[in-house]
Amino acid sequence: MPDGEYPEFYSFPPFFTIQPVEATKEKQLSLWNELIIQYYTIQKLNKILIVHECPLWYNKKIQRKLSKESIDIIMDNLIKSGRGEWIDTESKTTCRILWRKPEELATDIYEWAISSGNIAGGICTIYELHSGEDVHGMSFHGIDEDLLRRALKILEDDGKCTIFKGETSSEDGIKFY
Amino acid sequence: MQSAVDTIEKLQIKLTDFAKKHQSDIQDDPAFRQQFLQMCAPLGIDPLVSQKGFWAKTLGVGIGDFYYELSVKVAEVCFATRTKNGGIMAVSEVCDTLNKNKNKNYNNSNSRSKKEQQLYSQNDITIAVKKLSTLGGGFRTIKVGKSDMIVSVPTELDNDHMEIMTLAAAHENGGGGQPSGCITVDDIKQQLRWSNDTGRIDRAISLLLNEGMVWKDDYHGISFYWFPSVWKEKMDIM
Repeated sequence: MPDGEYPEFYSFPPFFTIQPVEATKEKQLSLWNELIIQYYTIQKLNKILIVHECPLWYNKKIQRKLSKESIDIIMDNLIKSGRGEWIDTESKTTCRILWRKPEELATDIYEWAISSGNIAGGICTIYELHSGEDVHGMSFHGIDEDLLRRALKILEDDGKCTIFKGETSSEDGIKFY
Repeated sequence: MQSAVDTIEKLQIKLTDFAKKHQSDIQDDPAFRQQFLQMCAPLGIDPLVSQKGFWAKTLGVGIGDFYYELSVKVAEVCFATRTKNGGIMAVSEVCDTLNKNKNKNYNNSNSRSKKEQQLYSQNDITIAVKKLSTLGGGFRTIKVGKSDMIVSVPTELDNDHMEIMTLAAAHENGGGGQPSGCITVDDIKQQLRWSNDTGRIDRAISLLLNEGMVWKDDYHGISFYWFPSVWKEKMDIM
């Protein structure tokens, strides 16, 4: 992320110490959530946070670094808020950042289907939904396939689409209603 | 005696004409506004309180309304940042925030608009806070070192808190151009006379922490206590 895009509080040294007072800590953790989501949203194609590699934990400019325990607290809070989920639930090293929750993505996809005329039209593939030309600039562009399938499952349960098996998984077809 | 009264009346009429003529300057130009208020004072006129009657008739939307609206905006800014700064915010920071917002709106609504300009002065903000203070709720300004701060919570700050805050504002953090706004227990012990009493320091610090006016920063085994309000002000100057 370019320097100017870091929020101001990222230069506030106490931001790197988990606050002893509950109300302040709550605020602090929600600011960390925003920062993580913002950071991983800019990296459009890979919304995966690897805990021991995440550059956010250390701000060289002010010489502040989160402790291991602090990182755990921040990650726990991220997961609880529904904005992140462990890919490896046991070892907890890799986290998928859900800058849109599956339910929100489902809404986005359905709105796109309406506005792009895909409703009651032809069938589009999974591949087209995450990497097709039509979805440029959409929230689900470049999205992880698992997550996309979860969003589609929500739409399917609502009777808003049907998923057909294709030759390969990314050729699975979707028809919107 | 009668002639003195006449003179005052004449001056009031002049002032009315003046106010009518320069209505838009009074509303839009902070320096002009301040001078106008200074002209009114010796004549016993406070346009800020005479919303009904004389000035409302003279100015249409009175200058009292101007400050009334401004004080609502000041309150909004203070409330919106309360969870981050515990309800303390520099007058200059509030002023900057409002001027930025206002300029943004101008630029959106009118593409040929004036370039960025100061619409509110710090003096305006202080007057607006005074208006708010009459409503209760604890709004007030306090002096911290060279800065004026707005407090938007009813929490009582005693002398100890004020001294700690003033010290933090003056404290240059290890040189190196780092912004000040932080303080350690040792700083307090060394620099404030009352501070051999550790219990007293702890009580002061824990109130400030509990109110969110101070954030804790553990660094190399030392606890630094930071005032977001002071830190923010220094950051903006840099």
